[in-house]
Amino acid sequence: MVTWRALVRLAVVAIATLAVNACDRRPEAPKTSAGGERSITVVIAEYSKDHTKPFWQALSEHYTKQSGVKVDLRVVDWNSIDQQVSAMVQNNRPPDVLNLNSFSSYAKDHLLYAADEVLSPKTAEDFLEAFARGGRYQGKLYGFPILSSARAFFYNKDLFARAGIPGPPKTWNDFTTAARKIQALGAGTIGYALPLGPEEAQAEWAIWMWNNGGDWKSGDAWAINGERNVQTLRFLADLANRHKVTQVNPGKTNRTDGAFQLFKDGKVGMVIGFSPLAAQLDAEGKVNYGVAEMPTNVGQAVTLGVEDYLMAFKKKDNQGAVKGFLDLYYQPEQITRWISAEGFLPVTKSGLQQMASNPKLKPYLDALPNARLAPTTDPAWDRVKLDVQQTIGLAVQPGGNPKQVLDQLQKNAVAAAGSR
Amino acid sequence: MRRRGSSRWQALLWLGPSLALIAAVVAYPVGALVSASLSRYSITGFHQGWAGMGNYRRLLEQAALPTVVATTAVWVTAVVGVTIVISLALAQLLNERFPGRRLVRWALIVPWAASLIMTAKLFVWIYDYYFGILNHVLVSLGLVAAPVDWLGDDATVMGAMVAVGIFVSLPFTTYVLLAGLQAIPGEVYEAARVDGASGWRRYRSITLPLLRPALLVATVLNVIYVFNSFPIVWTLNDRNPGFGHDTMITYMYKIAFKSALRDVGLAAALGVINVLVILLAVLVYLSTVSWREAEA
Repeated sequence: MVTWRALVRLAVVAIATLAVNACDRRPEAPKTSAGGERSITVVIAEYSKDHTKPFWQALSEHYTKQSGVKVDLRVVDWNSIDQQVSAMVQNNRPPDVLNLNSFSSYAKDHLLYAADEVLSPKTAEDFLEAFARGGRYQGKLYGFPILSSARAFFYNKDLFARAGIPGPPKTWNDFTTAARKIQALGAGTIGYALPLGPEEAQAEWAIWMWNNGGDWKSGDAWAINGERNVQTLRFLADLANRHKVTQVNPGKTNRTDGAFQLFKDGKVGMVIGFSPLAAQLDAEGKVNYGVAEMPTNVGQAVTLGVEDYLMAFKKKDNQGAVKGFLDLYYQPEQITRWISAEGFLPVTKSGLQQMASNPKLKPYLDALPNARLAPTTDPAWDRVKLDVQQTIGLAVQPGGNPKQVLDQLQKNAVAAAGSR
Repeated sequence: MRRRGSSRWQALLWLGPSLALIAAVVAYPVGALVSASLSRYSITGFHQGWAGMGNYRRLLEQAALPTVVATTAVWVTAVVGVTIVISLALAQLLNERFPGRRLVRWALIVPWAASLIMTAKLFVWIYDYYFGILNHVLVSLGLVAAPVDWLGDDATVMGAMVAVGIFVSLPFTTYVLLAGLQAIPGEVYEAARVDGASGWRRYRSITLPLLRPALLVATVLNVIYVFNSFPIVWTLNDRNPGFGHDTMITYMYKIAFKSALRDVGLAAALGVINVLVILLAVLVYLSTVSWREAEA
């Protein structure tokens, strides 16, 4: 008897624990938008604690004053934004305006307005062509560029001087030599910090891949396991296992708390970074660093450009309100003020003109013409990216098989491209 | 009859609020979870229709599933088992009178009061290959020749996670067992001492049997907590690609958002299975225990 009562009590406890988990799926409180355009929901990714929220808060207030439409602003950190947006879409309460690093899957699901529906022609024409191209799905612009960034090659000048290396390496051979010399300094110095853990492996991989003449796709078809790419991944595995010039377990090192941390500590000779890393290094003042072009194996150095997007969800009666909000953000003084504050790069012609004079941004702006974007216009990319993040690190671990890993990625990419 | 009827209504009136609460926070989410597991979603979370049992079938086809189930079994048994053993000793210690006992009792609560994510982050830095204090201490003492990549090496990551799991489970378990110890009347021990029973004999024949209800509660609740624990495994394992060290809970999250599958329907199917597994585990445990009780 006693046990049965205890059992029932336990069942209740078990269900309660389940309920705590399941509560996360709770639908959003319904909006009080009885009269159509009374309020819009705007979801923005948090780029920094200092600048993101203040800027969008001020913009929202400005917009409410101007139009009378209330803004439900949600600034969400990158770790949970996919989850939160997915929950909103699942519950059929998508945001009106969303900021994210992917857009084409939403366009494919027919959830978005195209540019001609919610942007004034002046705004749409101001986008730099490369970034407008990166926001198109089936010929129409759905992913409106919100900001961009470019990766660059960071090197520790003090370690270079101690190892007797004259300047940043231009070729892969120079790079390997430099890495070996720095590693040979001993006392825990590391030649190159290679982060192929799940956080941002696709970015690190893409830069090396492109600088060996490889690519994600050949024409419209996925070509992840091409000859050149296999060669590139073997090169990275050799850095780790044959030359031993990387940090321990590069396939299991993330970027932010792994590779960057080591570089900021002055332990590492070279790392691929971006402007926020430069800002942190400047603030700490501990490392004497230089920023250069990527070393390349094929003549022309290539870097990765990253474009993030704003998109507008099709909902009943929200078109006018959304259009007004987007037009306000894309006014040159607004967008440029925010991008400058966050330390990112412009996506509009007017913004480029205004920011070109900033010496801090010069290396990145110079790299921009040779920057390539990830294939975000292909909805299959959203799966390929996650697949690369979860598997490519295994190829550079001892005993890893680069060819096999790339073959599997290619197979999955083809399957993702063929799926609904 | 009339009186009985009205008292039944009265009972319902009293029970009403809690019944409504249960419906809102238990029944509704369970229903939502089950219905999600039977649905087909696009990668964006857009509902595309019903999938029948399709998600469950696809789940069983996942190559990573056997590894994940095995990891989960090791994780739960190791954390709960070792926690119970250590907590028995700690509870015994705290039940004795000694100067500073109050201080030790308070200190034990600290890991419980800290947020799990903060604790996990702290241990990420303790275990760090380059900056971690653990390697520093071990190398200085000459216990290991070279630093160990605790969270990157496949041989050590599970042990590193289990250690943190035990660390955060100790306070609750110890306090449950301590409460159990304090409920045992002193006369029983006195009688045993008069009969000449040795310390070990007294522990085996008096303490352990009388502690059974407390042990039961501690074990079952810990199994549920540890099985459902997300922050520790997620935070300590976030650098490792693949699913080699995921439990069924972190695997569920990866299916939904962090792997190429990216499918909330499939993840919901695993969510339903997770609930059934934990219920089944608890039922099996309870029935074995009560069966032994009847036999004794």
